[in-house]
Amino acid sequence: MSGENTVREIGHDEFDPKGTLALILIYFGVLSVMWVFMYFVEFLGNDLTVLV
Amino acid sequence: MNIHNYEKLWLVLSMVLIIGFISTVVYGATAVGIEMVNDEGGTIDSTALEEDERFSEPRVEKVGENEYAAYVVARQFIFEPDPIEVPANSTVTFYVTSPDVIHGFEVVGTNANGMVVPGEITELTVEVNEPKEYGILCNEYCGGGHHTMEGKLIVVPEDEFELGGQSDE
Repeated sequence: MSGENTVREIGHDEFDPKGTLALILIYFGVLSVMWVFMYFVEFLGNDLTVLV
Repeated sequence: MNIHNYEKLWLVLSMVLIIGFISTVVYGATAVGIEMVNDEGGTIDSTALEEDERFSEPRVEKVGENEYAAYVVARQFIFEPDPIEVPANSTVTFYVTSPDVIHGFEVVGTNANGMVVPGEITELTVEVNEPKEYGILCNEYCGGGHHTMEGKLIVVPEDEFELGGQSDE
């Protein structure tokens, strides 16, 4: 795998895509907040919900 | 197989999301008591609604302590009765059916929404709170006058409520 232009070689576990991790955590946060808002505020908070 | 720790983390997070989605829906169905509109209302002969005592004269009836039944006929292009009047702070069960084509029954801006199928009775129960006026509309294309098909649900203060329709003012 190492070529002439390889500056530094790192193993599988040494490569940490911190940016990707941050993006995924942000997406996770956005999804969680939007789900809670949509279900508990917009849906359950809406009057005249069909009940038993 | 060698899976990177970060990858494990976001696999777990996606599972957490799925479990979260499912458990909120289960919470709604059990603790809150949210129901889906189903076929429990039963069937009816759509060609002979006038022979059925519930729908021959669409109306609101008192069926229990603070419980009311609203028998509604949705037809091209009206809802009967119009307006539907119910008292505040009560439980109302709508029984809706159609003599002609498929209609919709939607209390605008709320979660009360069902499909009205000829030969079937759509049953949906809601709890109404403070006095308010809601619109009702048909949300299934039912013919040339579909866009004009609307009704009203009026939640009147308990002391002003009278069975048998409009309080004369």
